[in-house]
Amino acid sequence: MLNPLVGSPDDSRSMYRQSQNNFYKSGDKTSPISVILVSSGSRGNKLLFRYPFQRVDECPSSLSAKQRNPYALNVTGDVLEDQDGDSRFSDIILATILATKSDMCGKKFELKIDNVRFVGHPTLLQHSPIIQVSKTDPSPKREMPTMILFNVVFALRANADPSVICCMHNLSRRIAIALQHEERRCQYLTREAKLMLAVQDEITTMTETDGGPQSPFRQILPKCKLARDLKEAYDSLCTTGVMRLHINSWLEVSFCLPHKIHRIGGNYIPPEALERSLKAIRPYHALLLLESDKALLSELPLDCSPAMVRLIKTCSAVKNLQQLAQDADLALLQIFQIAAHLVYWGKAIIIYPLCENNVYMLSPHANISLYSPLAEQFAQQFSGHDLPSMLAKFSLPVSLAEFRNPLEAPAQEAQLIQMVVWMLQHRLLIQLHTYVCLLVPPSEDEPGLRDEELPLAARVGGRSLSTPSALSFGSPTSSDDMTLTSPSIENSSAELVPGGDSPLNKRMTETQLTSLSEHERQVILNIPAAQNPEDLRMFARLLHYFRGHHHLEEIMYNENMRRSQLKTLFDKFRSVLVVTNHEDPIISIFQSPMD
Amino acid sequence: MATRIECIFFSEFHPTLGPKITYQVPEEYISRELFDTVQVYIITKPELQNKLITVTAMDKKLIGCPVCIEHKKYSRNALLFNLGFVCDAHTNTCALEPIVKKLSGYLTTLELESGFISNEESKQKLLPIMSTLLEDLNATGACTLPIDDSNTIHLKLIQLRRDPPIVQEYDVPVFAECKDLYIKSQWDLTTQQILPYIDGFRHIQKISAEADVELNLVRIAVQNLLYYGVVTLVSIFQYSNVYCTTPKVQSLIDDKSIQEECLGYVTKQGQKRASLRDVFQLYCGLSPGTTMRDLCSRYSQQLQRVDERRLIQFGLMKCLIRRLQKYPVKVARDERSRLPRLYTGSHSYDEICCKTGISYQELDERLENDPNIVICWK
Repeated sequence: MLNPLVGSPDDSRSMYRQSQNNFYKSGDKTSPISVILVSSGSRGNKLLFRYPFQRVDECPSSLSAKQRNPYALNVTGDVLEDQDGDSRFSDIILATILATKSDMCGKKFELKIDNVRFVGHPTLLQHSPIIQVSKTDPSPKREMPTMILFNVVFALRANADPSVICCMHNLSRRIAIALQHEERRCQYLTREAKLMLAVQDEITTMTETDGGPQSPFRQILPKCKLARDLKEAYDSLCTTGVMRLHINSWLEVSFCLPHKIHRIGGNYIPPEALERSLKAIRPYHALLLLESDKALLSELPLDCSPAMVRLIKTCSAVKNLQQLAQDADLALLQIFQIAAHLVYWGKAIIIYPLCENNVYMLSPHANISLYSPLAEQFAQQFSGHDLPSMLAKFSLPVSLAEFRNPLEAPAQEAQLIQMVVWMLQHRLLIQLHTYVCLLVPPSEDEPGLRDEELPLAARVGGRSLSTPSALSFGSPTSSDDMTLTSPSIENSSAELVPGGDSPLNKRMTETQLTSLSEHERQVILNIPAAQNPEDLRMFARLLHYFRGHHHLEEIMYNENMRRSQLKTLFDKFRSVLVVTNHEDPIISIFQSPMD
Repeated sequence: MATRIECIFFSEFHPTLGPKITYQVPEEYISRELFDTVQVYIITKPELQNKLITVTAMDKKLIGCPVCIEHKKYSRNALLFNLGFVCDAHTNTCALEPIVKKLSGYLTTLELESGFISNEESKQKLLPIMSTLLEDLNATGACTLPIDDSNTIHLKLIQLRRDPPIVQEYDVPVFAECKDLYIKSQWDLTTQQILPYIDGFRHIQKISAEADVELNLVRIAVQNLLYYGVVTLVSIFQYSNVYCTTPKVQSLIDDKSIQEECLGYVTKQGQKRASLRDVFQLYCGLSPGTTMRDLCSRYSQQLQRVDERRLIQFGLMKCLIRRLQKYPVKVARDERSRLPRLYTGSHSYDEICCKTGISYQELDERLENDPNIVICWK
C-alpha cells in the first residue's frame, strides 16, 4: 500500500506542517487526530510517544505556574489555533488521564474532553516470575519488568461516527494484544519504552541547557521501531485506511477502516449496512474483483490461505458463487466467507453475474462529469471511446443483448463486456430486476372489508428465503450442509409431484391457495388462464414469491424455471399482478450508499 | 431517543479527605469502586479545568465540568468542585453537555457572588436542587429552578440533529406534516414571510420572486426548516418529468401505516378513498422513458380518484420513487469554441433552466439536435 507521508526524519517537519494544514482544513471525521502511547509502572505514568508531534512553540505547558499574574484573565477557553486538535494537551496531562487504573484494563477506554475523544484499550502486563539463578550461572539475569500497564490511544474528533470509534478501539486492542505477546516473549515493550524515555530525558536536559524547546518525539522516531510502527498506523488511517504493521518485525497486525475503503462520492457505506448485505448474498450472486487478479494476488501475504488464491484465480464476472464453488473445488460456505472477506477489505463487490438478459441503468450517484478522473481513466483504457457517450447509452435501462450486432466482429462485443465490467467496478451502473406483487382488484360490493384486509404480502409474513446455511460473520457452523448445491427442498416443490390432474395435485394447489382470502381466490379462479390446471398449479406454487421481495432471477434459480416460462405466467395473470423494475436492495448498497 | 440521566452527583476536594462525593441523587448510585477509578477525571489537575469531560467506566458514563476557584480564604487556597451527570454507557450524551457546562457556570457565579458552596448551610440547598433537576430533566427535558431570591436556573435538553443539505434554487420545499401544527409567530420574520408560499409546488426561485425575499435568504430559511424536520425537499413538477421506483416502493405493501398515510394524502378532494391497488399500479407504472403525461393517459382509470401531483409529492417525500434528471454533456467541440460551462454532466436541466431563465422545452430543442451533446439520465 502506498504511504505518501513516509520519508526521512529531516523531511518530517515540512511534511508535518503541510499535512497538518490539510487535515485541519478538511476536518475529516474518519481520520484520527493523533496516536499516543502511555504506560504506567513503578516509574509512574509516562507518555512514551505521540504523533503528530506537538507544535512546541504554542505549547501551553510552556507557561509555568510561577509566571501567573494575579490580575491576568484566565483565558483557557479561547484558543485561536485548531479547536479540534489535541495540541492543547501537554504530555504530562495526557500521561495522567490516559494511563488508567488497572481496573479499567481489558475493556474499551473512552474519554471525551471538549472536542477531542480518546479511545483505547488499556492492557495489563503480567509480570513473569523472577527466575532464580545461581551465583555461578554466567547467563544474564532477566530484569524485572517495571511496566504494569500500557495504553495505545487514538485521539479522534468528538463528532466521529460511533462505528469509527468502534473500529479504532478494535485497532487499539489488536496492537495491544500483539505488544502484550511480544512483551511476554522477549520484553519488547519494556525495551522500547526504555529507549523512548531515555531520548526524552536527553532532550529535556538539552533543553534546560540550551533554552530552546524541542520535541523529543522527533528524535525517537529513528531509534525506535515501535514509534515508527505507530506513525505508520496513523499515516495509513489518515490516507488509505489500510495498514499492515509488523510489531517487532515479527507479529503482523493488519487492519482496514471500512469508512475509508468503501467510499462512493462523498459518502461512505456504513459497516453495519455492509455486514447486513453480506449476510444476505445468495448462491446465484457473483463476485466481481475490483483489481486484476494478478494485482490482487501480489498483495497477499506469503502465508495466505490457498483457498483464497484458488478463488481469486477462478473468479469471474460471469460465474455465480455456486459455479465458483464447483470450479475452485471449495465448499459453498467457504466461498461465501472468502467472498465476504474480500468485500470487507474493498477488493471485490457482489453483483449479479453478467449475462445478456441483464438490464443496466446509470446509478443515481454516478459521476458523469466531463472532467472527472474517471473519464480520463476510461479514455486511457479504452482508446477511441469516451465515458459520457458510453454512459448516455445506459440512460434508459438497456439489456446487454441490445448491444449485440451480428455484423460486428466478436472483438467488439468482448470490448463492450469489458467496458460494462469497468463501469460496474467504478460504481457507475446499477442492475434492474423485475419484482412482482399480488394485488387483487377490490370487490365492488364490500369496499369496507377490502380496505381493512392486509394484502397477501403482509399476511404471509416474513418467511425469508435467504441462504439456509446461516452465514455468520467469520464463524462457520458445523451443522450446515457444506455442499449446498440447491436450495432446501421445501422451497422447490416441482420435481416430486407427478404430472397430470391427480387428486394429489389438486389438493396441493388448494392448500397453497388457502393463504388467500375468499374474495382473492374467487377472482383468481375466474381468470381465463386459471382454467388451465397446469398454469393454475404453477401460479399457486409460486404464490409466496409474489410479495415484491423476490426478483425474477431468484424465482428462476429457486424453482429451476426458464425466464420465458415465468414471463408467460406473469402475462396470463396480469390482471392480479403488479410488476415493477428496480435495483436489488441487497446489493445496490455497493453502487449507491444509503443516506 | 430520550437521554435518561441515572444520577446527578456533586463532588469536591475536601481539605483533609481529598476528592469525595458530597451529594448524589439517588443515593449510593456511584459505588466507592467506580469513584476511585474515575476520580482523576472528576477532580482534575489545573490543565483540565473548565473542560467538559465524559468518561466511560464500569458500564456507566459520567459527564462533568471541573471548576477551580482560587482564593486565599479557602483552605488550600482553592475550591475545587464538579457537578456531573451519570448515564448508562450506551446513551448518547451530546444533548447533556451544554447543560453540564451551564450548571458549572451558574455554580461558579453563585460561589463568587455569595459563597454559595463554601458556606456549609447554603451548600445543603444543593441536594433538593439536584433532585428537582433529575426529575424534571428526565420527565420533560426542561427545568426552571429558583435558587434563591434573586437567581433562577433555566435548563433545556436540546437534541442535536444531522446537518441539513444545501438548498438549491430549483428545489421545492413541502411540509412534512400538517402546516397548522406550527405556530407561525415562533419563527423569524423571513420564515414567516415565505411560509404562505410553501405549497410543495413552488421552487425556491419562485418563492423568492413571489414573496419578495432575496434568494439566498430564502435558501437559508428553508435550510433551517429542513434542519428541524418541518419541510422536506422534492423536485419541480412538470408533466414532462420522468420518475422511477426505488426498492422502498414495496413498503407501501408491507407497512400498513405508510399505506394509510399515502391513501389519505393522494386521494382527490371530495372523492371516495383511492384503492391501494390503483395507487400501487400508478407508482409501478413510473419507469425510465415514461413521462407523467404518458402515465396519465395510460392509467386514466386509476387516476379517477387520485391527484397525480400529490401522488408524486408523496412518493418523493417517502422515497418510494425518485426523479430522473437530464444532464447534458458536450463530448466534442471545435478548437475555437469555449470550454463547456454548464454542459459538463454536473448540471441538470432543472438547474440550467433556473440559472439561465430559458424554458425546459426551449433547452430541449436546442440540445436534442446538437450532435456534439449527449444526454445522460440519472
